Amino acid sequence: LLNKKMKEDKMSNLVEEYFEAHSSSKVLTSDRTLQKLQKRRLNQETLRDLLKKAPLPFAAEIKELNQQHESLFSKWMLQLHLGFNIVLYGLGSKRDLLEKFRTSMLQDSVHLVVNGYFPSITVRSILNSITEEVLEHTGTFRSPLDQLEFILKRFKEDSSLELYVLLHNLDSQMLRGERSQQILAQLSSLPSIYLIASIDHINAPLMWDQAKQSLYNWLWYETTTFSPYVEETSYENSLLVQQSGSLALSSLTHVLRSLTPNARGIFRLLAQYQLENKDNPSYPGLSFQDFYQQCREAFLVNSDLTLRAQLTEFRDHKLIRTKRGADGVEYLLIPVDDSTLTDFLEKEDEDG
Amino acid sequence: QQIQEEMNKQFFDNLVSFLRRSHSEFQEKATEWTCRMKSREIPAAALVLGVNVTDHDLTFKSLTEVIQNNITPYVTSLQAKDCPGIKNLMQKLMGQLMNCYVDADSSDEEDCAQISQNRVRCSMTSLINWYENITKKTDSETPSRKRTSSRHLQSPPVVVIFKDMESFTTKVLQDFIVISSQHIHELPLILIFGIATSPMIIHSLLPHSVSSLLCIELFQSLSCKEHLSTIIDKLLLTTRFAFKLSEKVLQVLINIFLYHDFSVQNFIKGFQLCIVEHFYSQPLSVLCCQLLEAKKRVNSLSHSQCENIRRLPSFRRYVESQESEKQIALLTSDNSLKEAVQKLLEDLHIYHENYVPVLKCLHVFTSSLPKYPLGKQIRELHCACLESRVWETEDYESSLQLARMLNKSDLVTMLQKCVEIFVSSSGKEFDKVVEKLKDFLAQFEKLEGACQEQEESIPSQKELQKKTDLYHLQKTLLELKESRRSKKLTKFEMLRFEVVDFIDSLVRNYLVPADHKTLHEIMYFNTASALREHLNAAPRIALHTALNNPYCYLKNQALKSDGGSISNKAPDICIAYKLHLECGRLINLVDWLEAFSTVVTAVEGPNGDAAVSDQVDDIIHARFIRAVSELELLGFIKPSKQKTDHVARLTWGSC
Repeated sequence: LLNKKMKEDKMSNLVEEYFEAHSSSKVLTSDRTLQKLQKRRLNQETLRDLLKKAPLPFAAEIKELNQQHESLFSKWMLQLHLGFNIVLYGLGSKRDLLEKFRTSMLQDSVHLVVNGYFPSITVRSILNSITEEVLEHTGTFRSPLDQLEFILKRFKEDSSLELYVLLHNLDSQMLRGERSQQILAQLSSLPSIYLIASIDHINAPLMWDQAKQSLYNWLWYETTTFSPYVEETSYENSLLVQQSGSLALSSLTHVLRSLTPNARGIFRLLAQYQLENKDNPSYPGLSFQDFYQQCREAFLVNSDLTLRAQLTEFRDHKLIRTKRGADGVEYLLIPVDDSTLTDFLEKEDEDG
Repeated sequence: QQIQEEMNKQFFDNLVSFLRRSHSEFQEKATEWTCRMKSREIPAAALVLGVNVTDHDLTFKSLTEVIQNNITPYVTSLQAKDCPGIKNLMQKLMGQLMNCYVDADSSDEEDCAQISQNRVRCSMTSLINWYENITKKTDSETPSRKRTSSRHLQSPPVVVIFKDMESFTTKVLQDFIVISSQHIHELPLILIFGIATSPMIIHSLLPHSVSSLLCIELFQSLSCKEHLSTIIDKLLLTTRFAFKLSEKVLQVLINIFLYHDFSVQNFIKGFQLCIVEHFYSQPLSVLCCQLLEAKKRVNSLSHSQCENIRRLPSFRRYVESQESEKQIALLTSDNSLKEAVQKLLEDLHIYHENYVPVLKCLHVFTSSLPKYPLGKQIRELHCACLESRVWETEDYESSLQLARMLNKSDLVTMLQKCVEIFVSSSGKEFDKVVEKLKDFLAQFEKLEGACQEQEESIPSQKELQKKTDLYHLQKTLLELKESRRSKKLTKFEMLRFEVVDFIDSLVRNYLVPADHKTLHEIMYFNTASALREHLNAAPRIALHTALNNPYCYLKNQALKSDGGSISNKAPDICIAYKLHLECGRLINLVDWLEAFSTVVTAVEGPNGDAAVSDQVDDIIHARFIRAVSELELLGFIKPSKQKTDHVARLTWGSC
């Protein structure tokens, strides 16, 4: 009874904590930004180099942990053959462990390794590799469902077919969707397909409803390895790593260097205007007409047409973005955060 | 391994047949109804199946079989995931119907060709055309053919089963019903809906205009709890299977069933896992089979296996209770050990044989008592008996007291039931018990006669009293009461006490918990923790302990810390996690980085050289990045747009 009461207390505490965390919209954090930290942003490669220099602590203990997990390999094989599928959870990358499982147990049998963390993986590519390489079928399918049906049929007909599927990160962004999980679940429910997968996200089990869970027929194994997620996070766009997708200061200056002085002036004008309005949250951007007027006054353009041509060039380089407002007027915006823009202007002043 | 497969097969056959049987009654009702229905509206049957979606497949499969055999060859079943739009639904329907047809009479090659052509265009008209074709064909076929189809009605209806009504999109379902109601004259359709929640769903899914086109009849399937009790009865309370579950394991399985999913299939899965684990981990599980086979295997045991037996805790207890000479013999000579083991196995077998009927007998008594001190279901009683000596518990005490107050007719019916149980059981020791019980019954019958005399006398007395005044009435009634009490204390009460005591002695003799038996380890699987880990895992807790207290996994003295404080030698991700726990909803990355580097540099110690410290700084920065992106991968934080260089925390409190 006491135990139960304690549990209840804990539960109500949890609830209170939740509301405490989400009660006020005001956030009490300092306003410091990484920009002000006088440090260059690291890119992916330097990061990897730096991390190589840092030694991994507790190598001996981690090795011991891994050995413990490896002793389960033969048990896994038995359970896979009995119709269960195995899912690994716990802290640390399970890539090496699965790789070891593959090299030590699956040398002689047909197996498929799926890197779920790979950002462009789809269920379709998994199905394709099964049909093309395992079943050696050359042909296209109208939809993944058709393809799945074909696979199911082939595997049911031919009992000699066996396939081990090793799936790293079943809970990755690409495979998280309901449809892909449904297809994977149906695949794994085949008695001659043995699935062994790993999950990392704390909310991963939310992906499966009862029907899918019974199709998967999971056996859970805790394999905490503490090894770093090297491959898995290399695709994760972290805030601290320089991202290739968005515009950075260096690329901004690089593009503008190659433009005419007038074009640079046009961009400057827009940037200054945007910075003046940075505290106004409802600022929609500068309308084309106003912008034209200002450019004319500064003797930067002499006709509507030249400004439009210039703006097209900016847009091609993704330096500006146009947005249509509620009144149908086109507004111009620079899709770069304000701090980068400030830095840019400061640098321009120095150079100029 | 072979034994395992053998066992598995046995179990599954048993289960499947059982499930079939339990559904058959229900199905018969449904099929009978399908025969009957022939009206202008579309007949529809709503099967309320309960929330255990995973078990429904089997029901539908056997339902399809039954319908196919008895009524019509044209049965299709549709699942919501195949039909996102009305077009897909029609395609699927057509495809299945035509396949059904081919299955039913797989003879003509040309038919197949036709079908594959038709598959391209699937509309209601083509469906009707197809239907007319076959009905015509079956009508004008040769007599030999007719005989096969005469099993079915003249124009067999087409049955469409919607397996999971809840997950269909409303639009598709409505459209399909409206369309098919237009063609009900040409194409006799019957719809069957599988409903997991309650029949209300039909009305919330379908507007009035659509549901008025249907003529719905409701069917209720057995509740899953009843399934569970029958399965337990069939699987656990028999002597047919040598493999048994201990109390804790059974409790875990039942809890998963009752508190999580209500799925019989998952229960079976858990049971299967138990078998696998038992045969994999316990070296002596080779002896877990029928008695004759086990005896043979005992003879061929190797020396190391004998040592294994000696190491069993229950066997040690047994040895200690023996005389010294025998002890030596058991511990040194394999042959005498084998003899002893054979005898012990036989004991165990007899124990099992006696256990079940006595348990059932006790259940007969306790299940009728008010408030059910020992549980309503036999599984609860079974658990209680396995857990400890049942007669030492308070619940048992109170139930015995209640049993001493039972009235006669109940007692007699109970005794009769007990006699039945003992007669049908195979145990040899029960002849005496049966005799004794029968003796009790006979005595009761005698009593009944005596009672009747009493009862006759009482009303006559009453009639006499009717005409007297109130005072006399009161007085005589009091007298009567007293006399009744004293009378009752005589024969009937004595007998009742006797019966209860006898049952009590039975319980004490036969319901000894299995843990107290020697060599129970061979038959009983009792690592409940393994089961819980593999079936009902908690990945979040594992992550939290690993991050919060890495010492659990990495046995390094440096990591040992009293909860709460951050050990600065812990892995990077643990430090980052601990720091993030102290924040609110949003986390400033710069502050976080600074705190991280403060903690980490405290380990490395102050470094004088500026160039070197810059290098170290960079490395720490990199390590921080790695830790943060790992936390992001694990789902603890996500990048936020609310404020520059902030991340949002996705968990709350201190976990």
